[in-house]
Amino acid sequence: MGRIKTSRKTRESLGFILPGLFFLLAIDLFPLLYSLGISLYSWWLARPRDIRFIGLDNYQALLTDPAFYRATVNSLVFMLGAVPLEFLAGLGMALLFSGRLAGAQVLKTLILLPLFITPVVSSMMWRLILHPDLGVLNYYLTLFGLGRPLWLGTPGLAMASVILLDAWRTIPFMFLVMHAGMEALPREPYEAAAVDGATPFQAFWYVTLPLLKYIMLLTVLIRLMDAFREFDSIFVLTGGGPGTATETIQLLNYRVFGLGHMGLANALSILTLCFVAGMCYALMRLMARRSW
Amino acid sequence: MKGSLRNWTIALVAILLWVFASPAGAGTTKSINLAMLAGFKEDVLRAFLPAFEERTGIKVNLDTAPYGDLYKKQLLSLAGGAGRYDVLFIDEPWVPTLAEFLRPLDDLAKQVDPSDFVPTTLAAGSYKGKIYALPVDPNVQILVYRKDLFDQRGLKPPGTWAELLAIAKQLHDPSKDFAGFVMTAGSDVQTFAYLTLFLWSWGVELLDANNRAAVNTPAGKAAAEFYLELLKYSPPGVKGYTFADVTKTMQLGKAAMAVQWASGAKPMEDKEKSVVAGKLGYATVPKQARQTPIRGVWTIGVAKDSKNPDAAWEFAKWLASREFGLLAVKYPSTSSAIHNARYSVLKSPTFTGTLPYAEAILTSLEVAKERNRIPQFPDIQEQLRLTGAKITTGELSPADGLKELEASINRIMAK
Amino acid sequence: MKAGPIREGLKYLCVGTILVWTLFPIYWLVTASVKSEIVLYGTPPAWWFRPVLESYARVLFNIPFSSYFLNSLIVAGATTVGSVILGSLAAYGFSRFTFWWSEGLRFFILLTRMIPRVALVMPYFLMMLSLGLLDTHAGLILAYISFALPFSIWLMIGFFDEVPVELEDAAMVDGCSRLMALLRVTLPLAAPGLVVAAIFAFLVSWNEFLFALILSGIRSKTLPVVIAGFNTDIGPLYSDMSAAATLVMIPNIVMTVLIQKHVVRGLTFGAVRG
Repeated sequence: MGRIKTSRKTRESLGFILPGLFFLLAIDLFPLLYSLGISLYSWWLARPRDIRFIGLDNYQALLTDPAFYRATVNSLVFMLGAVPLEFLAGLGMALLFSGRLAGAQVLKTLILLPLFITPVVSSMMWRLILHPDLGVLNYYLTLFGLGRPLWLGTPGLAMASVILLDAWRTIPFMFLVMHAGMEALPREPYEAAAVDGATPFQAFWYVTLPLLKYIMLLTVLIRLMDAFREFDSIFVLTGGGPGTATETIQLLNYRVFGLGHMGLANALSILTLCFVAGMCYALMRLMARRSW
Repeated sequence: MKGSLRNWTIALVAILLWVFASPAGAGTTKSINLAMLAGFKEDVLRAFLPAFEERTGIKVNLDTAPYGDLYKKQLLSLAGGAGRYDVLFIDEPWVPTLAEFLRPLDDLAKQVDPSDFVPTTLAAGSYKGKIYALPVDPNVQILVYRKDLFDQRGLKPPGTWAELLAIAKQLHDPSKDFAGFVMTAGSDVQTFAYLTLFLWSWGVELLDANNRAAVNTPAGKAAAEFYLELLKYSPPGVKGYTFADVTKTMQLGKAAMAVQWASGAKPMEDKEKSVVAGKLGYATVPKQARQTPIRGVWTIGVAKDSKNPDAAWEFAKWLASREFGLLAVKYPSTSSAIHNARYSVLKSPTFTGTLPYAEAILTSLEVAKERNRIPQFPDIQEQLRLTGAKITTGELSPADGLKELEASINRIMAK
Repeated sequence: MKAGPIREGLKYLCVGTILVWTLFPIYWLVTASVKSEIVLYGTPPAWWFRPVLESYARVLFNIPFSSYFLNSLIVAGATTVGSVILGSLAAYGFSRFTFWWSEGLRFFILLTRMIPRVALVMPYFLMMLSLGLLDTHAGLILAYISFALPFSIWLMIGFFDEVPVELEDAAMVDGCSRLMALLRVTLPLAAPGLVVAAIFAFLVSWNEFLFALILSGIRSKTLPVVIAGFNTDIGPLYSDMSAAATLVMIPNIVMTVLIQKHVVRGLTFGAVRG
């Protein structure tokens, strides 16, 4: 791809970049610095006159709290369970739709439906379906002699349920992005591959995959970030339970925030930010040969 | 083509003006903003608001939030000094925390015949000897049981927890999908309520006179072990249950007994939702060392920084009045119940005639125990929920759980 | 071509599985809106039942649903337009020009998306309070554009990178300005990406809960907060909640179909003509 590298061009490019950049700076910079600042204070909303600077004490309190590590592990398990699953399923579906398919337009719209349901509602719906004693799923499982699993009441299963719900909500998004990526691909490389007698798998491996690399990496990155911060759906489905089996770092953060401990909540957020940023940066370095 | 472009431009400008020009603060003197609970109780309130507005000329703007988020929103808005609300619908454990931002109502309360309120409910809106909010809708834990089954078998409602356990054992029948007792036992908020009820019943106090945690005692252990014992006679999925599941299990006739907040009773008596409507009996919760149903009163308070304190008070007064109470009890809501804190309503034929559990509410309210009146209580309550969840799911033994609880409470109190 | 029918069969089997997996919860949701509570929880699960439509009446008339709906529409619409415009411009800048610090800048943009929302809500609240934008559509729109923008930018970079520069150059030789070339030539070719960016921005603003809860209020409350209110402290009002969710889903379907059909076609058509 031809790129233009002169200072005059830099100025021209800034004309395009600046509006968006300025917007992000104006909206996000203050909150970020504010959050960073607050994380150094002891501030409980219920005691508005008792706000003290305490340095790194909040961070120390978090880093010595087993609940913090437990939540981090839960977040990682959730993220690493959900994102690869969603990515592969989304990619598979996009491939399925890249060929000829009867009624593809209608099917696409149907598949996108989960995206349009507020996370709170989809979680409530899944609660209903997964209800151990009154749910439709367990009714049929019992009917076929498969027992009556406590989907949300057993630690491992609860995490699996949370991951499955997230997959249900997010696979359509993965599909949407990768499908769009495939639609925008140029036709010529495929024609060339066909002339060379490539099998569909070879065409996928040597043509689609390299061309789609950027889009795929981007979706995975975005999903990793979002999964690490996922809140609504887990909160409603399990509330972090049973016990603390699905309490992710965001749930912990929301609890601390909800009780009005601003310093601690912000310290937790800053730690999360560092963790996610580090992870994404490493991943980008690792996966991208060319410069970003 | 040109014309349509112009029309679009005009429309766009109009929309932008509308979007950006909406005023920042509510203007007129006769308008107040109310922070209200969404869904439950909302329909009842909305039904009678027009009459209030017409009578007083005060416009009430409703800002509703779901239960789990209302406290956060109130705390943030009040602490942020947004001047956003004039009146606030407040659950009683929040009163000590929010009192800082509320207007003391002691003098004004004299206008509303305070002696008519059940004394414990008036205490719910008070903090450090001052009244900050008036009781509107008292809630209290009650025992619900299948009167029809009890009559069949010649059983009496249990007076002690040991009796309750024995009856639960007797009626528990997993082969018929029928449980002896239903409650919550997982990470649901209500787990706090059951753990606290047992601890209190066994004579344990959460804090001693010096505000130190005092739960890790033999009595505390016995209470936690009773919780685990009772779980054996609960539905199989109880570890994922919520408040609603307890109600639902009773409604579908799948359990013999439950301890539930009184607010869950009305749906159990709704024939559209409940197959056991009319077959239920209600009583005060059983006792062990003492009888201690938890009290939870919804109250109405006036913000200190309200720009219309008079109108705000006028509204609070109306919401806590006998007239509104009688209207609310009769309102045929499909989803809500607003009970009342006034003797004159609780003992009125309207109340006793409409609600089969009227007597249980009144007797329970009179003995109800309040949660510690300290701003730290929401934190402690959260810890009780967590520890309760850990004990019931077997993550911690009762002894270890109580040890953790004690340490956490002391840490919270030390802050 | 022996494998043909088997492969075809397998393909449609996959499609069928995907549809069941995706649509069953939605079917359950839509039917929940017309089931009475006894039917909803009944065992065995009811597949045939007499529908009750009262939930729709309650949702539409007991609360000011239409004004909440309008709030959501305004906020989501403005967010979509705003983030797509700002995002495409910035992405174009990044895609067509590199300078020594553009890499860092791009990472910074992504970084703004990594901040946990819980951390942002308090400073946003104070910011909107001091700007007088608390409880306004504008306040929410500003917040949501900042949520959607980083992804829009990064996504559009990917799509612009695939459009050959030569096409633009040719257009500019013909006398187009760079902006015109972007609009006439590049954007239509990147249309699939634009659609995704638009749908993404719409979804972010349509479904967001926490900021809507704290920032919005009497005048600007959006649907997620309203719908969450059906999960009351005495339990979820499933029929009302499902009725609201179903009502909300319909315009979304219409919008997706419209965006896919008209925007894509319109842009592609424009490209051919230009």
